[in-house]
Amino acid sequence: MDRTLEMAAPPPVGWRARLRPEHVVMGAAMAALVVLVLLPLLSLVWGSVRGDDGFTLDFFRRAFTNRLYYQSLRNSLVLGVWTAVVSVLVGLPMAWAVSRSNVPAKGFIRFTAYISYLTPPFLTAIAFVNLGSPNAGILNTFIRQVLGLPELTFNIFSMWGLVLVTVLHTFPYVYLLASSALESVDASLEESARMLGAGTFRTALTITAPLVAPSVLAGALLAFVNAIALFGSQAILGLPGRIYTLPTRIYSLFDYPPQYGLASALSLIFVAVTVLALWLQRSYLSKRSYVTVAGKGVRPQLVQLGASRWAVFAFCAAVFVVAIVLPYSTLLAVSVSKSWGLAFWQNLTLEHYRWVLVDYDPTRRAILNSLGLAAAAATIVVLIGAVISWIDLRTATPGRRLLDYLSLVPLGLPGVVMAVALIQFWLKAAPALYGTLAIILLAYAGRFVPLGVRAASASLRQIDQSLEEGARISGASWMRTMRSVTLPLMRSGLFAGWLLVFVPAIQELSASILLFTSSTMTLAVAVYNLYENGYLEPVAALAVVNMFIIGAAMWLAQRIGRRAGGAAPQSRGVTQ
Amino acid sequence: MASITIRGLSKRYAGAGVAAVRRLDLDVAAGEFVTLLGPSGCGKTTTLRLIAGFITPDDGEIRVGGAMVSSGSGCVPPERRGMGMVFQNYAVWPHKTVFENVAFGLQVRKVPRPERARRVAQVLELVGLTGLEGRYPGQLSGGQQQRVALARSLVVEPQILLLDEPLSNLDAKLRERMRWELKALQRRTGITFVYVTHDQSEAMALSDRIAVMHEGTLEQYDTPREVYARPATRTVADFMGLVNFLPGRVRERRGDAGVVLVGGAHPLELPLPPPVRAGQEVQLAVRPENVRIAGRAGVAPDAIPATVAELAYLGNLNDYQVALADGTRLRVQSHPRERFEPGEAVGLTVDTASVSVFV
Repeated sequence: MDRTLEMAAPPPVGWRARLRPEHVVMGAAMAALVVLVLLPLLSLVWGSVRGDDGFTLDFFRRAFTNRLYYQSLRNSLVLGVWTAVVSVLVGLPMAWAVSRSNVPAKGFIRFTAYISYLTPPFLTAIAFVNLGSPNAGILNTFIRQVLGLPELTFNIFSMWGLVLVTVLHTFPYVYLLASSALESVDASLEESARMLGAGTFRTALTITAPLVAPSVLAGALLAFVNAIALFGSQAILGLPGRIYTLPTRIYSLFDYPPQYGLASALSLIFVAVTVLALWLQRSYLSKRSYVTVAGKGVRPQLVQLGASRWAVFAFCAAVFVVAIVLPYSTLLAVSVSKSWGLAFWQNLTLEHYRWVLVDYDPTRRAILNSLGLAAAAATIVVLIGAVISWIDLRTATPGRRLLDYLSLVPLGLPGVVMAVALIQFWLKAAPALYGTLAIILLAYAGRFVPLGVRAASASLRQIDQSLEEGARISGASWMRTMRSVTLPLMRSGLFAGWLLVFVPAIQELSASILLFTSSTMTLAVAVYNLYENGYLEPVAALAVVNMFIIGAAMWLAQRIGRRAGGAAPQSRGVTQ
Repeated sequence: MASITIRGLSKRYAGAGVAAVRRLDLDVAAGEFVTLLGPSGCGKTTTLRLIAGFITPDDGEIRVGGAMVSSGSGCVPPERRGMGMVFQNYAVWPHKTVFENVAFGLQVRKVPRPERARRVAQVLELVGLTGLEGRYPGQLSGGQQQRVALARSLVVEPQILLLDEPLSNLDAKLRERMRWELKALQRRTGITFVYVTHDQSEAMALSDRIAVMHEGTLEQYDTPREVYARPATRTVADFMGLVNFLPGRVRERRGDAGVVLVGGAHPLELPLPPPVRAGQEVQLAVRPENVRIAGRAGVAPDAIPATVAELAYLGNLNDYQVALADGTRLRVQSHPRERFEPGEAVGLTVDTASVSVFV
């Protein structure tokens, strides 16, 4: 062993000598987070209190005293609360059936929840307009002409219609949290109660219910937060009936002349409601810890239902029909009709697909824009996530916890609010980003950065630090270690994170609607605009294309997930 | 080969009350096998990671072969220290084959491909893994993964090899065998080894010198023989193997020796450390194997009278609990051929030269 290695150099002195590539990378990620989240948020706050002559609280005063604005806050709260309540009524029985009973076809019930969660609510809304608009909706026509019961006609353009459509997207939150809680209650807890003489019902009431209640509440709050943030369904179903909610009211404030101050103030009120609900949600969820203490090897006890299991199954099947069969078959049927309302089988055509995919330039470009934006946003977010989670988990950088919190802030920012904040910041900032694809990219990256950080940190936690240290001590620099060890080991987790961002980004509407121009139109905006202009059939075709892209992405995720042998982390808290 | 010189090294983790390492001084000679020994939380792993350069000291310095590598004001990054490290959990990269794992350090150093292959083959033969080049770590046993980790750190011919409890995840039989192999490997390569463990028998078997650490400070740094037979502090005596602490009172002191009364009033003539004065209460550290237990008949005139309280037969020895006249309990081990039943009166003869006295 006479070969001498490169001898250790004397330690560097001063900040300049200590600046290494890793510091540049980490600095860039932190700067990105500041630009994506912190600066827009600060300029939103600034914009809400800055009047023509200095500081003012006038915008907030008007938001709370003018009927136009407090009415929209009230409508949002009503929508959120009812959606949360109905989501529990739908999601909890399904969760219980799957986790705790011998109901048949459990895979089918899980599938129902999964697809409902993935379906963008603005597409469900459009489908339900075709079904339930008071005059032309086919269900209403059916009720009037075939059943002859005109008094049963219902109006989808109402708060109840809005709640119905929203619930179809939000009940899976309750379902997911409730079923994971139900599955983690160890049977021995219930068996002990039975041994002490409590009957089935009493056990359920006194042991199971209290253990599961925090999760159900947390799921309901998540449903609430997501329900009030959805722009598309609220615009499509609310505006015809003049039911304004916070997102649609904020949107209308950008009609000429734009009222930035008022929009900022309303946005901050919106953020306050969202953050309060999320804070409650987290504190309920943290109470859940005593359920999961049991950890692995938990075996829940299944209730043996008799004939009633078919009744439970029928309930789940009904959800399947309303949430999936009706909207999908409607959209599919409309998309292949020459004109909706004519005799269906005599007027089949693929003309609309050709039109939106080939002939009509705006939709063709919108599809390409969305594919590019979603791919770029997913890549950026995943890279930022990898570096931020590395800083958080692997270094002793002061303020790294703060960085982690900052990356979660967008969870409390509804899409519309993110757009208002970006407009506030970039309207006056040096590079003129307003009206470009770049500002939409910033909105997507900012909105979905929590997903990237979570996916990355979940996957980095799985990698023992010594694997990286082994590379360093073998002579590899930080960059080399990241490239040869850390990133390859994180790959499947990062890819899952990438898809987790790509799927919602491809159908993002709430922020895009305020940021697009005719040349930077996105897929969801194109759908919305075509709908607004009454192009029913092309809208349906475009919606089917949208679902096809999502389906392909999820199929890919499943395949890769199976190959990697790891489950993709659950996305919670961010939707369209 | 390189020596390591540590002076005044201190490290406190953010949010921790006490420092992990406090003003540590340590010299490791080139080619020496030194073990950092102590219970968990004593600072031994922190010290090793400071030497590796994974953490920056708050204060003090580390020199390797005379060159400064760590100080409160700066740190040479781990990849430029020319060291190797074997981790407790092996840290073998799961996405690389055995060959790729071992070749990584050479690849980083831009060693040409043919020489790379030759040196990997050489080191794999050294650790007995020839033929497994194409396997992935998931297809190897724990012992084999351990050898991959060893080969990976040896292939770059480091001046210093750091080992962080490398044997603790192996089963007992394999652990003993790897112990012999590590010792032989160190002798053959002449690399400076710094080894961290909480297992005192491992430390004794392997080391040229043992640094016993406790609560971030160095308690004693000496050869295994000295550390065991002449523990510098009560903590060291307690940590190194089995020991009885026998309370006593110094009756008189004459030069380097004196008489201590134990078990009520029984006098023992012992060498005494300088600070001990007549009339002082002291603790005698007596190892179970340094007490001879004898029956009534063969009792020496100066033996301490005692009664057998408990007996456990362990196969290779008898393990006794005996009670002295004042009720003090003492653990004594003897050859299984001599056997005394509980309740039997016996006489104890202490090898006074091997007793350490602490205030």
